[in-house]
Amino acid sequence: MNVDAGALADFARGCAVLGSGGGGPADVTLPVAGQAIEECGPVPVVDPATLPADALVMPIGLVGSPAVAAERIGGREEPARLRARFEALHGAPVAAVMSSEIGGLNGCVAVAWAARLGLPLLDADSMGRAFPRMDQNVLELAGLRPGPAVLADEHGHTVVIDEVDGAHLERFARAAVVAFGGRAASTDYPLTAGQAARYAVAGSVTRALALGRGEGPAPLLTGKVSSVRRYATEDADGDDATGVLLEGAGPDAGRLVLVECRSEFVAALEDGTPLAVVPDVIALVDVRTGWAVPVEEVRYGLRVHLVTMSSAPAWYTPSGLRLAGPSAFGLAGLGADGGADGSPGPRGRVRDGSSSTDGRPSLGGTP
Amino acid sequence: MILGVDVGPTNTDAVLLDGDRAVRAVKVPSIPGDAVGSLAAAVGALPAEPRRRATQLAVGLRVAARAVRERDGLARVGVLRVGGAAADAVRPLFGWPEALRDAVCAGTANVAGGGGLAPRDTTPLDRDAVARFGAALAGRAEAFAVTAVFSPVDGSQEREAAEILRAETGPETTVLLSSDVGTLDLLARENATVLDAALSVLVARVADELTATLPGLGLAPGAAVLVTRSDGTLMSLEYLRRQPGLSLGSGPACTIRGAGLLAGLRDAVVADIGELRARVGALTGGYPQEAGPGERIGGVPVALRFPDLITVGAGAHRELAEAADRMRPSAGLLPLILVGGGAGGVPGRALTGFDVVRPEHGGVAGAFGAAASPVGGQYDRIVRRGPGRRLDAVRDEVRDLARAGAVRAGADPRRVHTHAEPDLPVPYLPGAVLLRARAAGPPLPL
Repeated sequence: MNVDAGALADFARGCAVLGSGGGGPADVTLPVAGQAIEECGPVPVVDPATLPADALVMPIGLVGSPAVAAERIGGREEPARLRARFEALHGAPVAAVMSSEIGGLNGCVAVAWAARLGLPLLDADSMGRAFPRMDQNVLELAGLRPGPAVLADEHGHTVVIDEVDGAHLERFARAAVVAFGGRAASTDYPLTAGQAARYAVAGSVTRALALGRGEGPAPLLTGKVSSVRRYATEDADGDDATGVLLEGAGPDAGRLVLVECRSEFVAALEDGTPLAVVPDVIALVDVRTGWAVPVEEVRYGLRVHLVTMSSAPAWYTPSGLRLAGPSAFGLAGLGADGGADGSPGPRGRVRDGSSSTDGRPSLGGTP
Repeated sequence: MILGVDVGPTNTDAVLLDGDRAVRAVKVPSIPGDAVGSLAAAVGALPAEPRRRATQLAVGLRVAARAVRERDGLARVGVLRVGGAAADAVRPLFGWPEALRDAVCAGTANVAGGGGLAPRDTTPLDRDAVARFGAALAGRAEAFAVTAVFSPVDGSQEREAAEILRAETGPETTVLLSSDVGTLDLLARENATVLDAALSVLVARVADELTATLPGLGLAPGAAVLVTRSDGTLMSLEYLRRQPGLSLGSGPACTIRGAGLLAGLRDAVVADIGELRARVGALTGGYPQEAGPGERIGGVPVALRFPDLITVGAGAHRELAEAADRMRPSAGLLPLILVGGGAGGVPGRALTGFDVVRPEHGGVAGAFGAAASPVGGQYDRIVRRGPGRRLDAVRDEVRDLARAGAVRAGADPRRVHTHAEPDLPVPYLPGAVLLRARAAGPPLPL
């Protein structure tokens, strides 16, 4: 399978859904991937299990602010420089690229870089969605080391971070990103194809493509945004939060759903009952454009489909829920934190994939 | 008295307004391809006596929209990006439809330079490369569009590049800067600036024609001339020359606003029923509801805002009712204002669930909206919260800059009102917030 120019918009639309409202607007990096494919050709997408188990895989993603990435759209030379440093650190050639974060703008970054490097893209990623922290990924859950991690900007300024655990990677990388002016390209949690096959979220690229073609789950509700309330949370880091009230229309008239947001949509509640809670993917899809709307672009009057789906099974294990479950977003008591038994998709209202047991998240809506 | 004119594709409407009361309204056939001639014909159809007391002419010309749609009268533009390595992953005009790109592009370059969120992130401008680009396009480009990375935060490199381009191509060369467009999104801002430059020659010609025609229109001596823009406010002809793109979408915007004023409503759904199609929009707080980001013109993503609109066939009453329902910002009962020449042909029973209002003079709502709108301005800026930074002080500055925008657009500085819009979070940039403000006021009397 290839990602070519024709499939790219579908892929980006799917990445926007998987962003769960976060990860940056996918249409920001869509033209970056578009031009890379135009210049370098379509990107082959491969199952990691088909590569030699010891083949070196370079995960890739932008870190920092999407607002900065929308200005500093990046350079054509960036991928080659980062690859050279990565290969020098490992003393081996890179066999494939993998997305660090399929949700939001980073999906198209991985496609663009694979095209420019002439490397295949793994049909996998490290998150299965978008999360705010670099260490909120399934490779961290699997016990892989974050280092050596390489961060670099368009001008070639480079920082190598090594001998760190996930929490330290996050702390050091955030400090570096400030020094980089709010945006850097990063490769972290280096791994082999064998490790990717075993630990990474499988099928992510295929899933994004299918979602982008409209093969997602049926909406839980179709309606309008009837209020958007932004407020400061009481978390120590003082992150801004947003409460979005959806009012059902048409067949859903009379229903009210509250969507709680941080950097992503983290919970959808109807009459106090959770319809979906992080790590579930929660998307508000604009009825007019078909694009999932990022948290910061939700506004009064917008007409949306509320779509939810379960995330990668690893996120529903006790350690997964500790790292990126409701309590990690100040929502302790909601969803499955307390009584997690390790089964994926613990809430009955999530309409897809919850019975998937083969380690692959099933495509939403497919029976 | 204020004279409002709406030059439509079929008819040109003119309304004379005394306070908020329409004194006279006329409708004449438009002269194809001659917006100023159409305006003169409509104004001439009004009686000379009240016309003589008009101290302000507000007009929706719709020439920019037609030029983009028909790729007619567009200038050839030299497209200069200042970003170098930070911005070469996507070339200028990437993704433009070939025909539009061919009609507009005189040449492109991406030179080293550009800024960042903070002054320390600035890369020096490659002045020699700018000069080479200017020299290469001298005599070939009719206008230049300059877009530097992070210019909405610091526009100095764009101004520096403009000086160099004028030094190479002549002091009269039109050089439009993306910092005037605003919005932190390099490609959408660049595309909007290029469209502005492409429209600049046509718009300058129309503005000159209008200025030359004005003394013969029989208005009060020294009457102010303003043109409509897409947010439902007005701007001066000078402002139109610098940012013609702001007039794209101004026709429907004016009609929505005019419908609200005629019906005495600030929140409503508005349907403009024409001969062939009906356009449905929403009025929120007296102004047209804007469509979300990601707008496109001629297939090009642009950093411009347009009214949120659904277009259906004029006779398709079921689709009209559906569109009106979708435009309702909430499930509560909102009035539906029907305006336009075809409003009488839509039976009320086709629109059950709506409180249908058909205001007097609804056939000239666009001209009424032009006559009754203030001059507008807006501004937004990303700021970081932190020790020693007082957000309130920055918020005041943002309001002042919105006010300055309205004054630049032609508003009377003594009578401009500003209001802050809700702050927006800037994701993944800890402590950052987007502050926004709008300003509006009556035009400066001459």
